[in-house]
Order: sequence, then structure tokens, then C-alpha cells
Amino acid sequence: MTKSPGRRVSAGVALAACMALAACTTPQPAAPSASGEATKGTTTADIKFWDPYPQRTDGSDWDKLVKACAPQGSTITRTSAPQSDLFNQLTTAVKEGNAPDIVVLDNPMMPEAVSSGLVATAKQANIDTTGVDANLMGPGIVNGEAYGVPFGSNALGLYYNVDLLKKAGVDPASITSWDALNAAIGKVAAAGGKGITFSGVTGEEGVFQFLPWFWGAGANLNDISSDQSVSAGQLISDWIGKGWAPKSAVTDNQSAAWDLFLTGKYGFAENGSWFASAAAQAKFKIGVLAIPSKAGGVAPVPTGGEFAVAPVQAKDADNHYANAAAVIKCLTDGDAAMKTNETLGYLSAKADVRAAQVKANPVWEPWVKSVEGAQGRTTELGAKYVEVSSQLSEAIQGALNAAGDANAVKSAFAAAAGK
Amino acid sequence: MTTPVSSAETGHSPSAVTQRPRRRRSPKWVAIAFVAPLLVYLLVLYAYPLVENVTMSLHRFDRGSFVRGGAPFVGLDIYREVVSDPRFWRVVSQTATFTVVSILFQYVIGLALAVFFHGGQFRLSAALRGMFLVPWLLPVIVSGTVWQWMMNPDSGVLNSFLGVFGIDPVWWLNADNALMSVTIANIWLGIPFNLVILYSGLQNVPTDLYEAASLDGASSWQQFWRITMPLLRPVSVITVLLGLVYTLKVVDIIWIMTTGAGSSQTLATWSYGMAFGKGASTVIRYSQASAVGTILLLVALAFGVVYLVMQRRRED
Repeated sequence: MTKSPGRRVSAGVALAACMALAACTTPQPAAPSASGEATKGTTTADIKFWDPYPQRTDGSDWDKLVKACAPQGSTITRTSAPQSDLFNQLTTAVKEGNAPDIVVLDNPMMPEAVSSGLVATAKQANIDTTGVDANLMGPGIVNGEAYGVPFGSNALGLYYNVDLLKKAGVDPASITSWDALNAAIGKVAAAGGKGITFSGVTGEEGVFQFLPWFWGAGANLNDISSDQSVSAGQLISDWIGKGWAPKSAVTDNQSAAWDLFLTGKYGFAENGSWFASAAAQAKFKIGVLAIPSKAGGVAPVPTGGEFAVAPVQAKDADNHYANAAAVIKCLTDGDAAMKTNETLGYLSAKADVRAAQVKANPVWEPWVKSVEGAQGRTTELGAKYVEVSSQLSEAIQGALNAAGDANAVKSAFAAAAGK
Repeated sequence: MTTPVSSAETGHSPSAVTQRPRRRRSPKWVAIAFVAPLLVYLLVLYAYPLVENVTMSLHRFDRGSFVRGGAPFVGLDIYREVVSDPRFWRVVSQTATFTVVSILFQYVIGLALAVFFHGGQFRLSAALRGMFLVPWLLPVIVSGTVWQWMMNPDSGVLNSFLGVFGIDPVWWLNADNALMSVTIANIWLGIPFNLVILYSGLQNVPTDLYEAASLDGASSWQQFWRITMPLLRPVSVITVLLGLVYTLKVVDIIWIMTTGAGSSQTLATWSYGMAFGKGASTVIRYSQASAVGTILLLVALAFGVVYLVMQRRRED
């Protein structure tokens, strides 16, 4: 009995000393090199491609398109993960020095990716950014330097069930302000339908869906507790409170909200242009409107879509950037741009290709104005957007949970901004 | 002439004295060789991550310094920030509520079922006992998703059931009710574990004690309270303490049902969300996540020490 405490104490002291030593030393830097030129390298046999479309499985159109873009003598291995997981995996991979050759990254994450030293410049990776619309290229330009290139963009719009609206006596063309929208939803609900589906899930997706109402009220991302911001929160909170929107909006993502709309019971759905072709093939007739702003007119929608970037490499940077250059060129050059965007369900980031898309497929017609007028999320805040988005997400959750209670909505926004 | 000294007087034979030093050295090296793999395993898989975790909580990391290194040492600043965060004490109380209520109901219901099954072997009792194990056997992703589906406020089965009795539908998964909802699901998950262990504990209680007690005129409630419970104490202590340490760390059931939103945020889910930028915290906060993780570790360690002390006291 007398031996064990002594041994235990010495073991404890040894562990404590170990930890104290480790705690006081600064962690070793693991810096991948930020140099390298695509023009100096050659393509390698194995190319790693990461994208955030896990729903596009092996053998799908997008998968086949990507793999067909492998240069002569190379094969592409494609891995998919949801947006934030992909960003985290990229962070770890760059830190370890085995980043993939190409990553497709959500546009609001671009400034943070650049400031964390995760991506190479477009010049280094020999990526052509000419012809891309300024508002869509915006998130990828940091300190005047371009990083990566967007394939295309999607936009948010207001889908509506044509028959339900006709039955309720609502003229879609009259929905040009919040009051008109609320009146329309009220009429649909009175006629026996349900109101509107949208996504209020925590994270960037819920914020993406909220921004048209936020900007439509005249609010600014620099101050998320302003009266205009609170009024946008009150709008969606009232929908839950009056039973016009499903309570599951608190946890639904855009895909789940779309599935609810497809049941045919809801009059409206706030969702994205990537469902445009699915809407054309649905069992009932679906129309689409631009999202109205509070006072009247079209609300600005956030720029959707992702950037194709070349991550920073620790070794053989020249060859990896050459891989990136080849594959991205194959996906965005000339006619390929149209095929890529049609496969993804996006409108091209280049005006001429967009015009060709609209001509070829009239389903894109209502979306062009929204895409061209779309506002970048990171334009004003840069890398600080991620933090503000997180606060706004908390505010949205608080507002939806409040289910119409005005005081609770106001305090939810104030509390989120204060943090 | 020397008288032969008997071995008994000296205590050791001369040959033994010369042999002993040689025998002492080789067992020591053999012993070290046996222990070495275990030591390496413990160092790599336990000590290293633990030290890294504590280190991370003492330096201010962001995504950039995580990739490139050079995070500044800030001592206990991160801990001060975390503890003074207005959310901290709310999350701690939610964790405590979740853990205590879960364990309490899991134990009581598990014990009640164990006593019920122990009371008599009726037809299909083995099958029924097997069915009670289903929550334990199902993957948590399945049970979590099913509970979330059942608790859907507009069209869920639970609200329909309440409607039969004329009770208003409950918004199960909103911010205020989330804690109650995940606790209910967690209790359902933990009952089989308690049932199995307490049932086997009950098997070890000698039946002649009950016979003697009923001869003395003890009621079944008195028998339960005075015979079963005291004899079940060691098993109960293990079950409750194991359950406590496990429940403190639970992330999966809460995450699947609510992603730690609202009142269902516990120290474990908060740390997980901040470490990976998921759920309510879309920004990755490396240092704060490590700090909360370390605090959770200390709490679990405290309970572990309590268990060791109780074990020691029983041995004495």
C-alpha cells in the first residue's frame, strides 16, 4: 500500500511536466510553399478533384463530365463532401501538405480561404478569368488578385403552384412587395392550401435563403440588428406563427423544403434555380417569380455558385498547378462552359454563354435578371463575412423559434449581434 | 573447526546469495519489454491527443495559423473568454439537466423492468426481454432520425397520439423544448443497458434471503427495499457511474435530432460544433472548442475519481 501512492505521484508529476512543456512551446509551423507556376509543370497521372456535390454520385452526368476532362494519360479521382466539411478537409489537407489538385469551393468561403493561405492565385495556376461577370468574380478577388474562377451562378426565386394560386384567385404578376406576398399567401391558406416553404436551417444555407428578405428590407450586413433586419426576421417569423410555413423550416435545408413543395400542398416555395428543370418536369404546373422586396420591386439575391480553385501545394507545386490548369480549362473554355453549367443547373458566369443557354433552354428565361443583379455576400466584409453569417444564422433561428412574437424576434437579433 | 551453521539461522544459503543479483536483472528487462507496446499505445492514442488538445486551448488559433503555424500563446485567456461567455453557464446547466434526468429515468425504468423480468418466467418473457434491447442494438443514426421524424410538429406521430387525448400539439424540436425532446430520446436509448446489467445483478441475490424475509412477515416492498437494493448497490454504482461518464460525452443523438440547437446544446455538442464549424457555430473556433473539451474532460475525470474512491472504500 505504501509503494503505490509514491509511484502514482511520480507518474502524475511526469505527465504534468510533459503537458506543461508542450503547452508552453509554440506549435511547429507547417507551412506549405506558396510558390509554383502551372506553366512550368506537367500534368501527372493521378489527379484529385474535390467538389461539394455529394448528391451527384458516381456515374451521374457531372461525374462523367469531370472524369472526361482528364488530360491525356491521367485519371481523375473525384471526392465529394458537403460545403463546410469540404472546407475543413481542405484546411487539414493543405496543412498536411497533400491537398488535392482542384477544389470547388462555395463563393462566400473564398476570402477566408485566401486569408488562411489555402489557395493559389489564378495567375499561378494559369486559370483564365476573362469574360466573367464582375459581380460573380467579386468573391474571388482579394487585394486586387484573382483566385480561381466561378463556373456559373444560381439564384433564388419564388416558385409557385399555378393551380393553387388560380383556385385562390391570386394573380402572380401582382406579387411585387411583401404586403402583396403576404396577402397572396393568406388567400392560398384561406382556399385550403398551405403557404410557403423555405429553409431556415443553421449554417450558411439558412442565411443564403434569408438574404433576399434581409437585403429586400434595406438592411446591411454591417449591422444585423438594425430595424430593417429585424423586420425581415419578423416576416419569416410571422409565417411560422400563422401556420403559413411548416415549423420544420427551422431544420429543413433547401432540398427538404423543395420536397415539401413537390407534395403540391404549398402555394409558394423560396428555392434556387438549380431546381428549374425539376420544376419543368413536376406533376403539377410550376411558375417562378422574382423575390419581391419590402417596398416594391425585385429584391437583390445573393450570388450562388462555387469557385474552381487550385489549393496551395507543399511539393511538386508546378505539376499540381498544371493539373489544375488543364482540368479547369477543360471545364470552362469555350463550349465546355455551356455543358458544365447545363449539367450543374447553373447559369454561366460569362454573359455570352448565358445568352446561349437562355436561347437553347427557355426554362432559364425568368432567372437571368436575378443572376445579373445578384449581390456578393463577401463584397463588403471580405473574410469577416463568415463570422457575420454565423451571427445572422443564430438570429434567424431565434426569429423562427419565436413564431411571430415581436419582442422575442427583436431580442434574438440584438443578442446575435452582440455576441 | 567451524561448526556448520544451519541455513535456518543465517536465513539464506551461500549459493542463494550469489545467485540472486543475476536473477533480479533479467526479469526487469523482460517486464519492460512486455509493457512497452502498451506504453506506446497509451502515449500515441491517449497522451498525445490529450496534450495537443490542452496545447490548442492555450494558444489562439484561427484557420490561418492552424495551416501555417505561429499561433500566439495566450495562457488561460481562452478559458477566461469561454467561462465569461453568456452562453457558458446556460450550457453547463443544460448538460447537468440532460445528464442527471437521463440517468435517473434510465436507472429507475431499467430497474423496474429488471425486477419485473426477475419476478417470474412467463411465456415469451425471453422474447419480450429481447425486444427491450432494440434501442441498444439500433444504430443511433437510425433511432435519432426516427425520433426526429416522430417529433415533427406538424405531421409527426407523437403529436397525433397526443391529439387522441385532446392535448395540443407540442413543437418538440424548437429552441425551448429541444432539451426535453433529446432527453426523452436518450432515456429510451439507455434503458436496455441498465436493464441488462441490473437483471444480471438481481440474479446474484440469493433467493433464500427472500424466503427468510417472507417467513418473518416482510411485505414485497420491504423485501425490495431492505434486501434487493442494498445487495444491488455495487452493480448500481457501476451502472450509474458508467452511465454518467458516457452521457456527459453524448453528441450523436443530440446532433442527429437538433444539431445542438436551442436548449439542447450541451458542453459536448458545443465543443463539437465549434471544432468543426457545424450547427449553430458555422465559424470554426479551434481554441475555444479545445477549451470546452478540456473542461468536459475535467468534469468526467472528477466522476471517475469519485468511482475510484468508492471502489477503494469498498475494498477496505
